[in-house]
Amino acid sequence: MFLSTVGKYISLTWEMTKSSILSAMEYRVSFIVQVFGMLVNDIALVGIWLIFFQKFPSINGWQFQDTAMLFALTTVNFAIVMIFARGAFELSKTIARGELDYYLSFPKNVLWHALVSKTDISAIGDLLFGLIIFFFSGNISLEKIGLFAVIGILTALIFLNFIIITQSITFYVGNFEEAAEQMFHALLGFTLYPQTAFYGALKIVMLTIIPAFFIATLPVQLIQKFNPQFFLILVGFWILTTIIAAIIFKHGLRRYESGNLINVKM
Amino acid sequence: MSEVKILQNGSGLVWYKFLKYFEIAKVNYFNSATYLVNLISRSAIVVIRIWIFTQLYKVSYSITGVSEIEGLTVVMVVWSLMMTQSFQTATRPQLSKLIDEEVKSGTLAYSVNRPYSYILFHFSGFIGRSIPNLFINLFIGSLAALLLVGPIGLSWEALLFGVILLFFGYILDFFISLIIGLSAFWIEDTSAFTWIYSKGQLVFGGLILPIALFPDYLQKIAELLPFSQMYYGAARLIVHFEPSLFLQYFATQLVWILFFGLVAYYLFNKGIKHVSVNGG
Repeated sequence: MFLSTVGKYISLTWEMTKSSILSAMEYRVSFIVQVFGMLVNDIALVGIWLIFFQKFPSINGWQFQDTAMLFALTTVNFAIVMIFARGAFELSKTIARGELDYYLSFPKNVLWHALVSKTDISAIGDLLFGLIIFFFSGNISLEKIGLFAVIGILTALIFLNFIIITQSITFYVGNFEEAAEQMFHALLGFTLYPQTAFYGALKIVMLTIIPAFFIATLPVQLIQKFNPQFFLILVGFWILTTIIAAIIFKHGLRRYESGNLINVKM
Repeated sequence: MSEVKILQNGSGLVWYKFLKYFEIAKVNYFNSATYLVNLISRSAIVVIRIWIFTQLYKVSYSITGVSEIEGLTVVMVVWSLMMTQSFQTATRPQLSKLIDEEVKSGTLAYSVNRPYSYILFHFSGFIGRSIPNLFINLFIGSLAALLLVGPIGLSWEALLFGVILLFFGYILDFFISLIIGLSAFWIEDTSAFTWIYSKGQLVFGGLILPIALFPDYLQKIAELLPFSQMYYGAARLIVHFEPSLFLQYFATQLVWILFFGLVAYYLFNKGIKHVSVNGG
């Protein structure tokens, strides 16, 4: 019963995203500009680390290849969230403006519907970039591809949970839109740097409030050298964040006040 | 009545015009300062970034075994990155997005008919918005840098010339952002240009890696690009003042300002020909 419900939601998510992408593709020039614009954007980001590692070739054993793998993974997990659940970034705004009513009137889960309501087309560029970098990172085996796919999806779900948690704080404090966005940027910011450079209290921040350790550090280690215990820790963290996100959203929804807006979606 | 008197007098007219733009800057200043939670969250991200830079460069310098690279110590690197980050993030929300929305929604058509210059109106707004953000960013950033790496030696001339470079840096950023926003007249979605522009700043603007730490050949190229002339030049001069460097950066800055200023002016005049006002 539970599995068939999950299956239905996955297939619905796929259909909704597909229709969003197909409608965006109608505007061909805009579609191409967005996808390739993002690809160039990501290449520039790798460029800075190419320059950095010319000056400092190894940071506690972390080399340019590690950064390349880090970028491959983080652009892929980021892209998965942006393609399938772009609505997560709008949650705070939707709640603050009392515009959640639209989703409340449907028979499907409110949170799920709000998440899948939008697709970020430019994230297709991120996805392409991540996959290209991964395939050019060397030592590719079938096993590694499978591991990359599983960890990519798992970290995307953790990423999504983090966004739901921070955006849903709006239910409790009102204006939290920009703060949630800044927390997201802080998380993304951590994923740019050589992960072996961090220590002390900053590492604690990465393990808790801004959980970059579970989105970047640990997953990259796992792809490079698989360890079942560390993998279970990652799965455990995903389950924990899912529970927290569900509680915060569900409890917050009880406090929600409608903006009495009548919206017609075409 | 008093306004008429002012307008009859030539110098009064200039003063009156100045007051008009000053008022626009003031409104944006108070608007930005009101959203304290947003300002605090923006500053928190600055602190985290400085913390990251401190650890990254402490580790990097200790591995190379030197205390100074191209005249810059870890303390100088962290302070310079804190400044470039503070200068750059103070300009949010992105001007290019605001202009893009005005072009697409058609509000630009109403703005251009009002008794002020559209470009100067946005410039005043841009400066007015950035000032409170800049002070908060610098205050929190300096506290964090002070705690994490300790103080830095500052001279009055470094501060003075740094502030001059910063002001012109804001003008340069304004013109490029304006051009990106105005391109919405011809291109449906300008966000791709915004990303590439911000990544240009990230790579060549000294936001993560000071240009002084670039390999020599790249350093020369980067210093000629407009990205380094917005905020890196000012920060670099404040942490380690060199008169010859000021002249070099200032000259490069002026050339780019002239170039992008002319392009923006041309695009604006060409763009408003597309604007047609229907009804009221």
